[in-house]
Amino acid sequence: MLAFAAKRLAMMLPVLLFLTAVIFLLNSLSPIDPARAVLGPSASRGAVERLREQLGVNDPLPVQYVDYLQDLFLHADLGYSARLQQPVTAGLGEALPNTLELTAVALLLTIVLSVLLALASAGRWRGAPLLRALMVGGASAPAFLLGIAGILIFFSELGWLPATGRTSFETAPTGPTGFILIDSALAGRPAVFTDGLKHMIMPAVCIAMIPSVAVGRTLRSSLITAMSSDYVRTARSKGLTEREILFKHGLRNAIGPALAMLGLQSGLMLAGVVVVETVFSWPGIGLYASQAIPVADFPAIAGVALVIGVAYVVINGVVDVLQAVADPRIRL
Amino acid sequence: MTTRELVLGGRLGPTRPPSELGRRLRRLPRADRAALLALAVLLLVSFLGPFVVGTNPEEPVGAPFTRPFGEFWLGTDELGHDIFSRILYGARQSWIGAFIVVASGVVIGTTVGLIAGATRGWVDTVLMRVTDAFLALPGPVLALAIAAALGRSYENTLIAVAIVWWPLYARVVRSEARAFSSRPYIEAAKLAGVPAWRRLIRHLLPGTLPVIVVAASLDVGGLILTVAGLSFLGLGAPQPAPELGAMTAQGLPYILSSNWVALFPGMAIFLIALLCNLAGDAVRDLLEE
Repeated sequence: MLAFAAKRLAMMLPVLLFLTAVIFLLNSLSPIDPARAVLGPSASRGAVERLREQLGVNDPLPVQYVDYLQDLFLHADLGYSARLQQPVTAGLGEALPNTLELTAVALLLTIVLSVLLALASAGRWRGAPLLRALMVGGASAPAFLLGIAGILIFFSELGWLPATGRTSFETAPTGPTGFILIDSALAGRPAVFTDGLKHMIMPAVCIAMIPSVAVGRTLRSSLITAMSSDYVRTARSKGLTEREILFKHGLRNAIGPALAMLGLQSGLMLAGVVVVETVFSWPGIGLYASQAIPVADFPAIAGVALVIGVAYVVINGVVDVLQAVADPRIRL
Repeated sequence: MTTRELVLGGRLGPTRPPSELGRRLRRLPRADRAALLALAVLLLVSFLGPFVVGTNPEEPVGAPFTRPFGEFWLGTDELGHDIFSRILYGARQSWIGAFIVVASGVVIGTTVGLIAGATRGWVDTVLMRVTDAFLALPGPVLALAIAAALGRSYENTLIAVAIVWWPLYARVVRSEARAFSSRPYIEAAKLAGVPAWRRLIRHLLPGTLPVIVVAASLDVGGLILTVAGLSFLGLGAPQPAPELGAMTAQGLPYILSSNWVALFPGMAIFLIALLCNLAGDAVRDLLEE
């Protein structure tokens, strides 16, 4: 088991190297002059040229790539954001906890929703066709439309949920973890906690919708296969209850493909974060990237793409290992 | 007819008599046929609509924020553009964009997949390593970075999405080509001295076509959503070009006072993606046994 995990995780290295190469190439493709970005539009040409020399922008590409990797791994340097006049790492550092918290909640929601959808639509109760129609609809709805509809219904019409931001408290605790739910719980402020939760519901549902439908569909079809197999018939004839059969025999055997789908869908989920954070003005890395787009602040966009890319590669590596835990045949 | 003629004519290949498709179409479930029909109607409307409506989508035609269902069916936006006319033009733009990306993805992916599937050894290894590297990265986010680096325009957004889209087809085509390349008719063609490129195009390609068509038709809905998402984020043609994603983003600041500006373009994308997904399922049912 350990050997399999080590091998699978080692396979991530070349992919991560490829990712940095792509981001680096895009960085050098982009028309933005990094020296000009640091010094501002009013700097003299001589000063810009000196800084270009200092930054190594005039070196050949392979040399620049090695420099880029060194900056990245030794100094955690992702370049300079011209829009905010600060290093990209500083901006990402502020925004990342907010995104992590939102995606964690969205991931939990995805798991719960997809299992519910799968169990409900695989069953033979009367609402199943309606649920299946809802699943097809959910898979086709753009995340921003869900967000807009949510704001119109739950904020504007019903007034149940706030529309933007992540808290209504000026004095919300900002430490020690940076996650508002955990921090407010630690500080013993239930009002801030419930307020934070209310802010999170709509964006998390919008992010979770498409992935839960995809995972739910996969789980449904593998669940149907598992429940009509010989070992389930044997379990039935042993006199086990339907619930025991479903959870002990059905779900365990059906979970593998659904896990793989969850890993693949996490990429779409992370892309959805950019759109959804924009709709709800959620101060995470998605909003950071989308605000950089109109002013062509490419280092900021590249930084976000790198973070999301690494997250995606790691998530899929972990998912593969988890799959092997659930189903020993994969290790062979 | 000699054996050589038979082999060269590709008649031993997996070709299907033309009447077969019609028979399958008639046997399709009613929901599938309805989805295909609805998609055809939507395509007709979005390609003929702009000619029928006649108003310029980029020129103000009325007062800003005119309510819908009056003089203008879907109202006007903050500059007084006719939203209905903009949606028709935007829908056509979406179709054209989706077609370009799917076509280029299919051409690149099929070429890579066929070559990798038919050859073994280092060519196969190299091509598939590159494919896998792309597949291991989150496509939509990579497309966002590429589009932003190339500069904001609709063409660049399509190029960016096409760059991340082809590996899916390459994978599918390779495994299919690999399965076909050990069939007797390919061996026979090889023995008859058919050159490699001709075996690839005349004998291997027709066999993989159904899989390619199914993969592509299941993809179009997701593709349209991806392009619309990028356009929503401002990676598309500059204002006031009619693009559904950008139109939704443009209406976002007025969502509480004039919700139709953002709502109708968003719903148009939803309708297009929904019909694409339903029709994609229908095409799969049609082509797969």
